[in-house]
Amino acid sequence: MAITVRLDELLHARRMTLTELAARVDLTLANLSILKTGKAKAVRFSTLEAICAALECQPGDLLAFDPTLPAEE
Amino acid sequence: MTRSSVHALVVARPVIQGLTVLNLIYAAGLAALLIWSFFIQGWPDRPLGHFASEHPQIGNGLRAIVVIGFVGALIVHAILRRLRAMIDSVRSGDPFIHENALRLTAIAWSVLVLEVLRLFVTAIASAVWEPGRLGGFSFAPWLAVLLLFVLSGVFAHGARMRADLEGTV
Repeated sequence: MAITVRLDELLHARRMTLTELAARVDLTLANLSILKTGKAKAVRFSTLEAICAALECQPGDLLAFDPTLPAEE
Repeated sequence: MTRSSVHALVVARPVIQGLTVLNLIYAAGLAALLIWSFFIQGWPDRPLGHFASEHPQIGNGLRAIVVIGFVGALIVHAILRRLRAMIDSVRSGDPFIHENALRLTAIAWSVLVLEVLRLFVTAIASAVWEPGRLGGFSFAPWLAVLLLFVLSGVFAHGARMRADLEGTV
């Protein structure tokens, strides 16, 4: 997947754990882990909105396109 | 899920189990009939009387129909097994899986083969004891085959959507 999720970097910059974020955005830790590890196939706008609100960032800060990575089949 | 579909699912499993047993008895009966026809003296004149003497190929025709019926019973058995597996997947709460799409495709092909076999039986009957009569064609089973292929496509699409949804956060 050429789309990468930079949740780890954002959490590190804000000194926040995944468990804390899960509590703030009302998502399960399992689902956030799927997002963090890049295993998610799709992200709902509502999820993106909640994460951006909790981390005070833009969607572009969370997602990036890396053309060197192979595209999803 | 509506109440009627829930009731249908509850009833379907024992009905399919009953039909499986009946179909096995039917297949065993046909096999016994075929074997018995080789050992009965004066086949087919003795059991069928003057009807057999009027139609000289009736003995072979009946045997061919019994063989086709036996093959049909085996196909019906495979259909019932797949149908039961599909009902079990619905009851376990996960029907939109790739296996069910494959099962429906296999059922569609099976019903198609059954209908072709039925045409063979009609053709044999027409050739052996009802010359010139080729009745019994029905449009409904062919429509059912088409419907089953469409449904298998719907299931395959549903399974893909389900897989996508599982990866959605």
